[in-house]
Amino acid sequence: MTTADRIRAMLVKDFKLDPDKLTAEARLEDLGVDSLAMAELVFNIEDEFGLTVPDVATTMTTFGEVVCFIDELIADRDTAAESAAGSYLLRSVTLTPGQ
Amino acid sequence: MRRVAVTGIGVVSPLGHSPSDVFEAARTGRSGIHRLDIADARRMTAPLAATVQFDGADHFEPPQQRLLDRVSQFAVVAARRAFADARCDLTDLERDRTGVFLGIGMGGTLSMDDGYQTLYGQQSDRIKPMLILQGMHNAPAAWIAIEHHLRGPCLTYSTACSSSGVAIGEAWLRLASGVLDVAIAGGAEAPLSLGSLKAWEAMHTLASVDTADPAASCKPFSKNRSGMVLGEGAALVMLEPWERALARGTTIYGEIVGYGVTTDVGHIARPSVDGQAAAIRAALASAGLSAQGVDSINAHGTGTQANDSVETSAIKLVFGARADQIPISATKALHGHLLGAAGALEFVLSLLALRHNVALPTMHLQESDPQCDLDYVANVARPGAAGKTMLSHSFAFGGTNAVLALRAAG
Repeated sequence: MTTADRIRAMLVKDFKLDPDKLTAEARLEDLGVDSLAMAELVFNIEDEFGLTVPDVATTMTTFGEVVCFIDELIADRDTAAESAAGSYLLRSVTLTPGQ
Repeated sequence: MRRVAVTGIGVVSPLGHSPSDVFEAARTGRSGIHRLDIADARRMTAPLAATVQFDGADHFEPPQQRLLDRVSQFAVVAARRAFADARCDLTDLERDRTGVFLGIGMGGTLSMDDGYQTLYGQQSDRIKPMLILQGMHNAPAAWIAIEHHLRGPCLTYSTACSSSGVAIGEAWLRLASGVLDVAIAGGAEAPLSLGSLKAWEAMHTLASVDTADPAASCKPFSKNRSGMVLGEGAALVMLEPWERALARGTTIYGEIVGYGVTTDVGHIARPSVDGQAAAIRAALASAGLSAQGVDSINAHGTGTQANDSVETSAIKLVFGARADQIPISATKALHGHLLGAAGALEFVLSLLALRHNVALPTMHLQESDPQCDLDYVANVARPGAAGKTMLSHSFAFGGTNAVLALRAAG
């Protein structure tokens, strides 16, 4: 499932929204997701994706913006994880001669 | 001053979900108290409570339900029932002059307990974003105003065990004086969180379990009384000017004729004979009644050592030689102590007792305390004994004493 699919499923389950209306351009407030509901959505996204989402996410207006933002956070996290793994390997290699 | 009629009743209570169910349970002595069957009951010395059969999912869509603590759910459902019972269709203009007056003791304590469990128990910072809105004391009243578009004052009173007696009295004052035209008033409470139960237990105010019959553990005015039993629920009434009720030909349950409120200023938790007596006198004065004019009383009657003897003395102080001729009912023996909703549920039972002219029984009273030597209508309802005019007492930690005076319709 794509990020869009997963967030769409959450909005359908938690806020009883019509999945067909959740297009990239759809304005969430027009669909009844007010600022309070956005806070709840972000909390649930953090649980669903294992992310820490910055407050700025609660001010996004369209479904597509939220999906893009979360995709970027996921990408950043994965990059950070790879780079951490990489530096560990590098460190291992560097350390070997000293043993 | 205008006359004020009660034209609708909404209840969510341990004794039932309609005025007739609640009245029948109280009349026949069917207790709503039982052993508490929550997971943490083993941590209670005396796991007792009066609980409500209630599933919020039957009344709310999930997005709204997640915003509402159980106490708000009780309040909103009781308000819907009161509106439906009153068949009260308000015009848009009338909604500007309609108020919500609600008593609350512990607020959204179940939600707060859940949040603290996350924070301290699980050592997690994942507090849910709705916790403030679930926990705040004025949420139940606000949800009622929002749902019914009531744009007058939306006020929450938190004077512990007298909260909803105060709420109904303050609503009555505004209707009687003409400041408002319609009010919905009462109380709500959902105090059965482990944190709240343990805190009440720590104060040594809770009853021990009657092992022969746990449902009979609360024994107001009895020699072997051991304390109160916590209960949950909500009770709300629709109030409107008498002439308005007559004009629209609706059922009138009864009339509020007076309200007295005083403060003990002695001790934060120990009740005072003088403070309670002053509240009773203030209610009589406000109703233009003499001590001779009172036919029956719904007592605060918690089943604690301190309350029942002090309340008895206060009644004697006001009514003198006539005190032992007044039937006194303590219905907390059956529905437990609903704290912020107690006064409202007892007000409803008082109205219904007047309407049916039945003095409700004080159950589980086999042997009176020598210090409690009045007529408590022990164990059996007494038809014909409620009379026309009744007082409903609500006294509280903090010392706020509220007494409402009611009269039968017609």
